[in-house]
Amino acid sequence: MKNLCSIPYKRGVAWRVVSATHSSAPDNPKDNHLLAALSEPSLAALLPYLEGIQLPLGMVVYESGGAQRYVYFPTSSIVSLLYVLANGSSAEIAVTGNEGLVGISLFMGGETTPSRAVVQSAGWGFRLRGEILRKEFESGGALQHLLLRYTQALITQMTQTAVCNRHHAVDQQLCRWLLLSLDRLPGDELLMTQELIANMLGVRREGVTEAAGKLQAEGLIRYSRGHIKVLDRKQLEARVCECYGVVKKEYDRLLPEFGARLH
Amino acid sequence: MRTRRNPKQNDLLAALPAADLIRLAPQLEPVPLPLGAVIYESGGEQGHVYFPTSGIVSLLYVMNDGASAEIAVVGSEGMVGISLFMGGGTTPSRAVVQSVGRAYRLNAAQIKREFARGGALQRLLLRYTQALITQMTQTAVCNRHHQLEQQLCRWLLLSLDRLPSSELVMTQQLIANMLGVRREGVTEAAGKLQADGLISYRRGRISVLDRAKLEQRVCECYGVVKRESDRLLASHAVIAA
Repeated sequence: MKNLCSIPYKRGVAWRVVSATHSSAPDNPKDNHLLAALSEPSLAALLPYLEGIQLPLGMVVYESGGAQRYVYFPTSSIVSLLYVLANGSSAEIAVTGNEGLVGISLFMGGETTPSRAVVQSAGWGFRLRGEILRKEFESGGALQHLLLRYTQALITQMTQTAVCNRHHAVDQQLCRWLLLSLDRLPGDELLMTQELIANMLGVRREGVTEAAGKLQAEGLIRYSRGHIKVLDRKQLEARVCECYGVVKKEYDRLLPEFGARLH
Repeated sequence: MRTRRNPKQNDLLAALPAADLIRLAPQLEPVPLPLGAVIYESGGEQGHVYFPTSGIVSLLYVMNDGASAEIAVVGSEGMVGISLFMGGGTTPSRAVVQSVGRAYRLNAAQIKREFARGGALQRLLLRYTQALITQMTQTAVCNRHHQLEQQLCRWLLLSLDRLPSSELVMTQQLIANMLGVRREGVTEAAGKLQADGLISYRRGRISVLDRAKLEQRVCECYGVVKRESDRLLASHAVIAA
């Protein structure tokens, strides 16, 4: 991938941006909440192996069934896990940003998944070779507990996607999707086309345009040229279906060390 | 005729190395799984993990308005209660017995202790959880994209794979609750499958007459789940892991 740059992270060395297209400065490993929640010795053991990496929009992090060599800890990007059907249509299963990691099958077992992981909002992250993480994971202890609790929270997000897909209208789903994404980014702006949102939600683009148009007309969001800015988060929260709250509460409960980091 | 009960009737317990199973055996408590029994309530403390040897447990989410949607089914291939070793100890979803059967259970302290030993049991449970995740995600995909009739086929096949016979004891109302759709939709879809000779349905019993045809009619979601479970839990994979 052309605009993908990766630089090994070194402690005490100022980070220099080589070719940032979206965000100006990436990012300390502790901008990822999982890495930040590790004890100092645990993090110190991983630091020499953490590589800062730019995650450009649309980059395929894992292909369906493809070998997964790295786990990714996003810091200012969002990665979408989605399943692409044989006919080419797709459905998002979960989003991961600065609260989590991409690549649970590397420690859960199996090393590949039927789903695909794609960068949905451009930004930065860190990656770590699977075998390094696995070694730490298998020694048990706090890192293992943290990753398993994170995985359990991720499972709740996935199951609630199934529920939401069954029962809720597109504009509620769009609100859920916007809020989940915002919770996983440092700012209040998403870099995202409506076409991509439609692919993520697995609905027709016209449906997203209509739902987003309604939210914009009422002053909840502003959409222009692939930028979505949330103007009134409270109203979004009033509009969203219960699925968002279920997921948020589970993340808060399972990962209390994130504290106020998630909005 | 009664078959002697044996923990190895559960695939996970059967896949454990002999030494692990011997250590576990005295702690395993046999329990019945009566139809409709709620194993966990949403948000309720989970006191045990269950390894079914027969029957099916459905994991489902019940919404504020009472509507529900099934997330996954678990039978003798798996276990119910992953949050006890994953962390959290409760889930927003509910676990209900969907098809009567039996299980062995371990209490929370026992499973946590066994899991914390690491080794084969830990690896096996994590691989199983990864397979379960695939079932859950594919439910999300299927709910988005596929026709009710295909979903019914998926649901029938996933259930059949977890039962010893080709017969399900199940009302259409319950299937509708599981799938999270209206009962009329299930009646129509089941009627079509019956008219085409794939199943026969009467008095709360569904018999599958032509499994091969059912597999042709089902959406790809069933195959994705089946292949992934087979891959993750093949005995050689578990041992090599």
